Amino acid sequence: MLDLAIASQILWTSFSTSSYFVLFALAFALVLKVNKVFNFAQAAIMSVAFYSAYVAVRVLGLNGFAGLMACFAGGVLTAVLIEIFGFAKLRALKATPMFVFIFTIIVSQFVSYVLMLIFGTWPTTIFPTMFWPVSIVGGIAVSAWDIPALSAMFAILIALWCFLRFTRWGQFMIAVSDNPDLAELYGIQKNRVMIVSMAIAGGICAAGMFLYGTRAQVQPSAATELMLFAVAATIIGGIGNLWGAAIAAVVLGLVQNSSILFIPSAWQGFLLYAFLFLAIVLFPRGFHWPERASKLKRKTIDSLPASSEASGG
Amino acid sequence: MTDVLKIRDLNKSFGGIVVANNIDLDLRAGRVLGLIGPNGAGKTSLFNLVTGVVKPDSGSITLNGDAIDALPIYQRARRGLARTWQNLRLFPSLSVLDNVLLGPRDYPGEKLQSLIFDARGVARRQAENTEKAHRVLQRTGLGAVAHSRVQDIPYGQQKLVGVARALMNDARCLLLDEPMAGVEGQAYAAIQRVVRDIAESGVAVCVVEHNVAFVRDLCDEGVFMFAGKVLARGSVTELIADPRLTELYFGT
Amino acid sequence: MDYFLTIIILVSLFIILAASFDLIIGYCGLISIAHPIFYAIGAYTSAMLAKEAGVPVPVAMLIGALAALVSSIVVALPSLRVSGDYLLIASIGFQLGLIELAKHFHEIGGAGGLTNIPPFLIREVGREAYALLVVVVALLTVWFVRWMATGPYGRMMSALRDDELAFSMLGRNAIWVKVSVFAIGSGIAGFAGALYAHYFRFIEPDQFGLLASSAVLTMVVVGGMRTTWGPVLGAIVLQTLPQAITFFGLPPSVLGPLQGIMFTGLVLVFMFLRPQGLIAASDLWRGRQEGARHD
Repeated sequence: MLDLAIASQILWTSFSTSSYFVLFALAFALVLKVNKVFNFAQAAIMSVAFYSAYVAVRVLGLNGFAGLMACFAGGVLTAVLIEIFGFAKLRALKATPMFVFIFTIIVSQFVSYVLMLIFGTWPTTIFPTMFWPVSIVGGIAVSAWDIPALSAMFAILIALWCFLRFTRWGQFMIAVSDNPDLAELYGIQKNRVMIVSMAIAGGICAAGMFLYGTRAQVQPSAATELMLFAVAATIIGGIGNLWGAAIAAVVLGLVQNSSILFIPSAWQGFLLYAFLFLAIVLFPRGFHWPERASKLKRKTIDSLPASSEASGG
Repeated sequence: MTDVLKIRDLNKSFGGIVVANNIDLDLRAGRVLGLIGPNGAGKTSLFNLVTGVVKPDSGSITLNGDAIDALPIYQRARRGLARTWQNLRLFPSLSVLDNVLLGPRDYPGEKLQSLIFDARGVARRQAENTEKAHRVLQRTGLGAVAHSRVQDIPYGQQKLVGVARALMNDARCLLLDEPMAGVEGQAYAAIQRVVRDIAESGVAVCVVEHNVAFVRDLCDEGVFMFAGKVLARGSVTELIADPRLTELYFGT
Repeated sequence: MDYFLTIIILVSLFIILAASFDLIIGYCGLISIAHPIFYAIGAYTSAMLAKEAGVPVPVAMLIGALAALVSSIVVALPSLRVSGDYLLIASIGFQLGLIELAKHFHEIGGAGGLTNIPPFLIREVGREAYALLVVVVALLTVWFVRWMATGPYGRMMSALRDDELAFSMLGRNAIWVKVSVFAIGSGIAGFAGALYAHYFRFIEPDQFGLLASSAVLTMVVVGGMRTTWGPVLGAIVLQTLPQAITFFGLPPSVLGPLQGIMFTGLVLVFMFLRPQGLIAASDLWRGRQEGARHD
């Protein structure tokens, strides 16, 4: 029934395409963790990053490296602008989460309409061709895109992990995500930390979009769909758990790609929304990963009953 | 004397922190029980467990002889369990009167069908409730501020709004979370009088309070909690006099 | 004349949508922007029943509204049981997923849309009668939302918005209030969809997407949330303004994005400069018996 060769081919392709899914999920989960925002404006960041690369390569005729730089510049800049002129302002106005939520959706829609006006609705790619040479490794077709994409994903994962673990700013981000007010008491400038976190998320989005845009066609509304995938992964992976979101993204990518064996391809697009809906119904608080008794965790738990008592009077 | 609320073997921990450790406790009709203990002893957590805000790990809670463990918060309230909150939790977009009008166990018009098919019945019960609310407001000394917004009245009166709101329930069991914190003067006396009144009408009252004088004057009995455990139960004067408890209370 | 009637009908339909959406997002504080999908469910259900099963149009319209109501419960119940925040994501997933699904269902016209929907009233009585019907439904909706908001439900919705936990502790069933309000608002939207379908006689999946969501949201935010006339004003202003753009004779590839930019841009401007909208709501709830209550 199911050929082993086909199965392993699908497994490999899903795994390599999951590289950008992981990055989108990582960016979404990071902003949710540190900035405490369900950042639907991530779609705007992703679109701007893609079209920056598109302009650099296809319009200005620059080389691929310049395209990559443009992609990063577009993503990071958009993310930082959204934080400074959007989230920070809304925090200062003490806007309700609902208000911020709506803001992010409206921003992503606004940007997609602006891009539609400029670039039209026709799908396009960063490079004129999406063809990547293929070599056969152990019966599996491995494209020249796969290995660099996966390496980039792993490099970014490791870099982010090290950044959060070993650098001052990384520690600040963890502190702000645990308790922004307490962090501020210790002299951590919350607003600057949040700009850094958005900038990193913007960079990760740009990397993901560059990978995506060298392999598939993009139009102004495409980022919304890609982002909803990240939302589903974040919800399933556990809110506040970056690595859980990354793993969930791989699993979702695998399921969606392998679904081609069981359901007509026209329905594949529908599957994403089914995931999203099921994620909310089945894993309302995220999938429960086995708890580890780490030092950091204990500290946050310690403050729980005390802070609930103290929040009164 | 009947036990209105019975708590048996109640346990709850968050991660490694135990907030309820094998708690057994009864609240009796017509009596005021004071819960004392240092911050983090699990007093407010106990209220949260009893009212259903937090689910316990194990144990049972019965109200008037019925198990209420599986019920959601609002159904516990409808069976006669009412509480106030340490941080008030009033509704700032409603007037004092409208805050109180939301308190009855059976709110007229909550069922949509009654709103449409029994509009007159809803209006009549609404009028009855308004009358009752005015009585409750008089009783709590809030008659004059019925139409004020809650954030415009003094803090002590805001605390009384919380109590008045709970009174509309005709509760069998009333849990008061720090009714005195931040309150002085007239409101202080009013709260004391109202709580006494409620108990005398046959309600089982439980008070979490740091104001020792208030607890001593008001409560028939006290319970000393520490680290989620009930350490001692007895008269408040005895509990306060116990040097071991005092040491736990003030810490070393 | 026909053009003028069409504008009246469109404005009235958006008044119905905006007023019922205000009930959900404004009065009840439920975060969802998927209102147009219930409009779509009403439109498709009514159109299919009338076209394929020969059901009389008024009956089909009512069933369409009912279908929207029931499906809104299916979306709201699981997500609201967890937390209010999830409703937004669940409903967007539902909206976009259903649109995606509709595009692949050839039985209901697929991506090309459903054509030849049986008309109602237009042939027998005339377009004026239909316009009158839609205007009356719009006024009834505005009146109904006001009636809900100033009655016992209005008090509950205010309290629920302020503090759900304290609300529950008073014995009020928060989930019931939220789900019922969401269902009523969505049911009204479904009826509006049915009214749309039997006048314009053509519907396609893409017209119920995020552009429609931002349009309805804009009407409520710009007009003024939690007010009786805010959504009405918003619907009139924002439905006639884009019509004005159509006079410039721009190609659709420019017109669509331009309207989108206008809708979303206006929301952004209002969010920061005038979050209360053109008509500001009072921050203290007042019931309709307020006058009688003075003592």
